Amino acid sequence: MKASGKVSIALPTGVLMPGALRLLARAGLARLSADQVGRQLLVDRPQIRVILVRPADVPAYVDHGAADLGIVGKDILWETPGAHYELADLRFGECRLVLAVPLASGLDGPETWPPLLRVATKYPRTAGEWFEARGQSVEVVLLHGSVDLAASGRTLKENQLRITATLGVSTARLIANQASLKTRTDAVQAAVGRLREAASA
Amino acid sequence: MVPRLGGVPGFRDLLPLEAEILREAQESVLAEMRRWGYRQVITPMVEAIDVLELGIEAGQRRRLFKFMDGRGEVIALVGERTVPVARLVAGKLRGAPLPMRLCYSGPVLSTDEGRFQQRRETYQVGAELIGAPGTVADAEVIALAARCLEASGVRRYQVDVGHAEFFHGIMDAVKLPDDVKADVRRALAARDFVALESLLDKTPLRSAEHELLLRFPALRGGAEILKAAGGLVRNRRSERALAELAQVRELLVAHGLGGVVSLDLGAIRDFDYYTGITFEAYGPELGRPVAQGGRYDRLLERFGRPAPATGFVVQLDLVCEMLTHASRPPSLPRIDAAVAWSGPGLQTALRLGSTLRMFGMRAVVDTEPRDAAQAKAWWQAVGAVNLIHCRSKSAADWTARGRRTRQLPPEQVAGRLAGELA
Repeated sequence: MKASGKVSIALPTGVLMPGALRLLARAGLARLSADQVGRQLLVDRPQIRVILVRPADVPAYVDHGAADLGIVGKDILWETPGAHYELADLRFGECRLVLAVPLASGLDGPETWPPLLRVATKYPRTAGEWFEARGQSVEVVLLHGSVDLAASGRTLKENQLRITATLGVSTARLIANQASLKTRTDAVQAAVGRLREAASA
Repeated sequence: MVPRLGGVPGFRDLLPLEAEILREAQESVLAEMRRWGYRQVITPMVEAIDVLELGIEAGQRRRLFKFMDGRGEVIALVGERTVPVARLVAGKLRGAPLPMRLCYSGPVLSTDEGRFQQRRETYQVGAELIGAPGTVADAEVIALAARCLEASGVRRYQVDVGHAEFFHGIMDAVKLPDDVKADVRRALAARDFVALESLLDKTPLRSAEHELLLRFPALRGGAEILKAAGGLVRNRRSERALAELAQVRELLVAHGLGGVVSLDLGAIRDFDYYTGITFEAYGPELGRPVAQGGRYDRLLERFGRPAPATGFVVQLDLVCEMLTHASRPPSLPRIDAAVAWSGPGLQTALRLGSTLRMFGMRAVVDTEPRDAAQAKAWWQAVGAVNLIHCRSKSAADWTARGRRTRQLPPEQVAGRLAGELA
């Protein structure tokens, strides 16, 4: 079977986009400004096709083969396990998933937890599994606006919250579609190699 | 209350064209299997959970629809059919001599909405070769899978052949504490190479096996990859796996499939289930394997009839997707004749319909009388090639698409249409 078309990559809008664009440029795959990709959601360059999607949609694009590769925060992958290959830590966009309590709260380590904890989070799966592994019953409330990813810690302070535990550390990851790795091995591996090199430079 | 017309989420209705494509594909794949001497069996939609437990791993079991029957036994809707076939071979077919070649088809269900593009019901056709060890049998099922894809109308595909023992050999040889090894297996099963790398980074001992594990997604290619890998591995299990891969490749060339076969030493499959050669077939732009299978020599012994076995399934939904997106997608077979009538023409119309069907044509007879103009409108709605309007015992108006209307006795119309068909 002949390899067809050029390699496509799904990039997330939002906080990871500037870092992702810098990485593409450093890898020599495409020089794009945030303005350029903001205007068109699909940009064709001689070396690569860039598709701009919402961060939480990157795994779906890659799993279904709508994109060969994707750049996505590990925090999204915690919530959406799929059939993709997670190939490389791209070492940018670092943030921590933390357990925060109000400054005035007496809650701290597991020994202070009541029999049933109520936790508000945008990461229900990750939070649920973390507490389950510790034998703690929780009622997970899904909130899209809740603050639980901390990059600087400023938002937490502003909201009078204090960190009591870190559930995980997230950075941007390079993921790949299974079939793309098998049917277009050379082109996809070449792009992966350049992105990997650019990330560790 | 407004009824939910879309059905249960994750379950699809197949409309006439989709149903036709699926049925055609299923029939051509089964026909190819029969040409290779495989006998079809039909296993039930449900299976006792105790039986399924013998063959499928916990994660897969969690994704089954389960319920309790009147006697309190837990029953599941099947998520695959290799295990039911194993039960048959060890049970009702235990007197039948091995090797045995069986095939089957039908829908399988999963509660997991994400796995198959939001589909919880998918269609599979599968074949199992039970009781035959060795690479000749391995090559047979791979060749059969490839020919099944061709028979269904798939023109562009590739087959990647791997070997579970290559991985097991590496895991034996790699110098790691047992708990780290368990983590390595988990990371690899999740295809998480970032986790894998950090696990292997923590161990001081570096070996060729470490490198091979890290390069798993890229260990794909032609015969040359066997030589490259052979220079790196220093353990019996992996070496034997490479030798078997070389044999299977040669056999597939003899099967006439040298052009579509690649070797994939880094294929990540269910390593607890597969015991030897494995394979996956891919089509262009699909994102997932369209067929997959391999050798599972330890399943049958769990049912009390130890026997080597190998087999595969074709994912019919994906075959249909490929056919639909082909440059010349299939279309619904045409309706040959719309037979309308008015007044005393009903008997004539019914008789004409029977005659046309006897010649193998598709004919629709109207359910109510219409005049000439109304009949034309109805003909358009039916989408038939010919309109025959029966007005009496002996007179019919025949209009072929794009032609003038002619008046002929009904039996002559049937004769002309049959003549055109021949």
